Amino acid sequence: MSIVAPKPALQVEDLHVTFRAPGGDVHALRGATLEVARGEIVGLVGESGSGKTVLGLTALGLLPRSPHPDVSGTVRLDGEDMVAAGEEQRRARRGSYITAVFQDPMGSLNPSMRIEAQVAEALGGGEPDSIHELLAQTGIPEPRIKARCYPHELSGGLRQRVMIAMALARTPRLIVADEPTTALDVTVQARVLDLLAGAARDRGVALLLVTHDLGVAARVCDRIAVAYAGRVVELGSAGEVLGRPRHPYTVGLLASRPRLDGSIAGGDLPTLPGQPPDPRHVAPGCAFAVRCPSASQRCAESPPVVVDGGQRCECHHAGSLDCWPATAPRARVGSELSSAHSLRVASGVIPIPAVVVEGLECHFPRPRRHPFAAASEPLRAVAGIDLSVPAAGSLAIVGESGSGKSTLLRAVVGLLTPTAGRVTLGPGASPQLIFQDAGASLTPWMPVGAQIAERLATLNVPRGERAARVAGTLEAVGLPAEVAAVLPRKLSGGQRQRAAIARAIVVPPALLACDEPVSALDVSLAAQVLNLLCELRATLGIALLFVTHDLAAARAVADEVAVVKEGLVVEHAPTEQIFTAPEHHYTRELIAAVPNLAEAA
Amino acid sequence: MSLTADRRVAGAAALATGKPEPLELRQPLRVRLWRRRDLAFGESARAGILGALIPVAVMTLIALAAPLLATHTARGITAIGPLHGPSLSYPFGTDDIGRDVFSRVLYGIRESWLGAVGVIAVGALFGGLIGALAGATGGFVDTLLMRLTDLFLALPAPVLAIAVIASIGPSLFHTLLALSIVWWPWYARIVRGEVRALAARPHAEAARLAGVGRVRLLLRHLVPGALAPVIVTMSLDVGNLILALSSLSFIGLGAPPPAPELGAMSSQGLEYLFGHWWVPIAPAAAVALLALVANLIGDHANRRLDQRMT
Repeated sequence: MSIVAPKPALQVEDLHVTFRAPGGDVHALRGATLEVARGEIVGLVGESGSGKTVLGLTALGLLPRSPHPDVSGTVRLDGEDMVAAGEEQRRARRGSYITAVFQDPMGSLNPSMRIEAQVAEALGGGEPDSIHELLAQTGIPEPRIKARCYPHELSGGLRQRVMIAMALARTPRLIVADEPTTALDVTVQARVLDLLAGAARDRGVALLLVTHDLGVAARVCDRIAVAYAGRVVELGSAGEVLGRPRHPYTVGLLASRPRLDGSIAGGDLPTLPGQPPDPRHVAPGCAFAVRCPSASQRCAESPPVVVDGGQRCECHHAGSLDCWPATAPRARVGSELSSAHSLRVASGVIPIPAVVVEGLECHFPRPRRHPFAAASEPLRAVAGIDLSVPAAGSLAIVGESGSGKSTLLRAVVGLLTPTAGRVTLGPGASPQLIFQDAGASLTPWMPVGAQIAERLATLNVPRGERAARVAGTLEAVGLPAEVAAVLPRKLSGGQRQRAAIARAIVVPPALLACDEPVSALDVSLAAQVLNLLCELRATLGIALLFVTHDLAAARAVADEVAVVKEGLVVEHAPTEQIFTAPEHHYTRELIAAVPNLAEAA
Repeated sequence: MSLTADRRVAGAAALATGKPEPLELRQPLRVRLWRRRDLAFGESARAGILGALIPVAVMTLIALAAPLLATHTARGITAIGPLHGPSLSYPFGTDDIGRDVFSRVLYGIRESWLGAVGVIAVGALFGGLIGALAGATGGFVDTLLMRLTDLFLALPAPVLAIAVIASIGPSLFHTLLALSIVWWPWYARIVRGEVRALAARPHAEAARLAGVGRVRLLLRHLVPGALAPVIVTMSLDVGNLILALSSLSFIGLGAPPPAPELGAMSSQGLEYLFGHWWVPIAPAAAVALLALVANLIGDHANRRLDQRMT
């Protein structure tokens, strides 16, 4: 009796997708190969521009029509070739065979339809009972009430659960989930992720989880595929890929990720040099070679596919890389910092704090329900916070969205007048703020250098010295001086954040406030920016007030961590203590929610 | 053996140091902090502005050159007498009292085009100033200025034109004055809205934190962002204004008779429509052509500029 292997749920072979755009052809996928077996959960991990989203959309048959995509290669759903199929055939497959969960549930749900109507549509018509049951199965409390709601009446986590319910409605063979939890808070993220994976497993539905976050993939995936420059460069079981990566890119990606455990802290994250190639001009041969420390002559040729057990890797050096250090601890910045500290202590100077915040409260009036309603209780975004940052110190404020952490930061730098309490700033230049969206924090129509020079102008630096100061500062943050004459849109995301940092430090402020400075950046860039912030702190003596939802990033830069919830500090302790011995249950919940690579590996 | 080991060490070091990303720029650059050229728009947008400005300039030149292109005077009676059909020397024929219709239409185009462009320039300048002021100051000043704007917005153009002409007499200038009074509030609202939206963006907050003064913040960080929508509105408005001017003059609210106004010419020529069609049709066709050209320019600007600066 011969056992016929079941056809895989999704089989992608040598898939090329090229968008014909006016500025030149964009090679989004250049021969990607991937297989998702029935009932299997595969994580497709990559940085922005790696082609991971395009792969998901091609599988769904949902590529945009403009710019026009050229697709070649094969995408088989249950053995049926979708590239050759017509639009009718693809449409028939969607909804019953293959479904999707996208990042932004608000954009995917119809704002003018009740939840029950939308779920009924996904079910292909259904009794109210089956709708409520489906909603209940995806962990939606009070499904009868929630079914009557419109999408805007639900929280982000609930909306994403509705999307998952709709994706599961007709028990498809495969769900493509593209960054399904990226927009959610860390604790919600963990729950939604577990729910999605659990529901898929229970029903034997295969899941292709497209994500930029290795931790997310590590948490739930059976196998992990790593995408780089339009190819799947490594594919293997989660444990193998995370524990014994064979491709140098995977090694670098894993190493540059800030961790909650291990020895890397104090701003010395290993980083990948360089940046991903421009998808318009990809050199022949291995696309990673220009960034690869072990690149050799052979890498100009197309890399061979090396198969080792269940692990597949595209690299000339695949076998010989496993002894790379996954972590490269160094103590340079840390030691400088401590020497600066000890110097100050030794000379007997009591450092004046960079900022002291006492009893800070920020209230916002809530709109009245109707014109004659009594004024409702104001929203207490910050409800009484005391904290201080020592000169050249570093404090991370950690909390979820709506915790008041950004409001606190705005009050500290003076963009917002607090309702009550006091902010006392230490001596020195006025505090500066680094925004999450560096692109939006730079004026689009002014050259970068002119924006940096504005701070010099306000501090009466002579006109003749400004250009040199700007050029010097740009070099200090790792940008060439030529950037001065460039408009922000010509820079990449990481370069924009560096330019914004250059503006903040051209006259070193006593306090540099950072509002989620790396959460919009890819892993390798984020590590570079975190290192830069730590280095600036050490060399210029700038104190950091670092607001983030990312505990690992907080650990990488901060001496102390304050956990905020609902406008109050629930725990404030030295960084090591927060992570090794958290006292407040909310802190423990936050730490538990962070996807941990070590577990999976 | 040792070679690979060396490479591995080098690799680890490169991983650890985190060299800055190489900058890839498409054009050669000079190290300069300031560029005098307007930096508010990308290349496509800049092409959009040029594509709108050049036709406007060409049309304006034609309008200004009307006396050179006209074969006769606008008001003088020709030798061949009234109501002659189109011929080689009189392309649009003559009207009921023997004036050359072609020359009158050319002069009419001049009045309409220059009038429309003038009203828009005045409206955009005055409205833009009010809007920028309201948007940048906020609070009481904002409320006051914007309620004032609403007041003017509520005035119906024809009624206002009748009032102006009844009190100070009919003339093209008075019609333009009436139109300017009702036209500027649109620009005030657009600029104010843009400035307020931009002021809430991180780039304006970052500039405030950098210590940039209020005037400079407004002029360098906010107003340039409002230029694109204003230019789009201006170019789309030319057509509207040509129609508005012609309608007012059609119902007798323009310059008094012998003046060559397109609207007045077609209304006065209406009684000859069946016997001598060229008398009303030639000026009416000129209005249609002007409005069409203006709208094409406006659409072009809209397409190229509306995608903003991203």
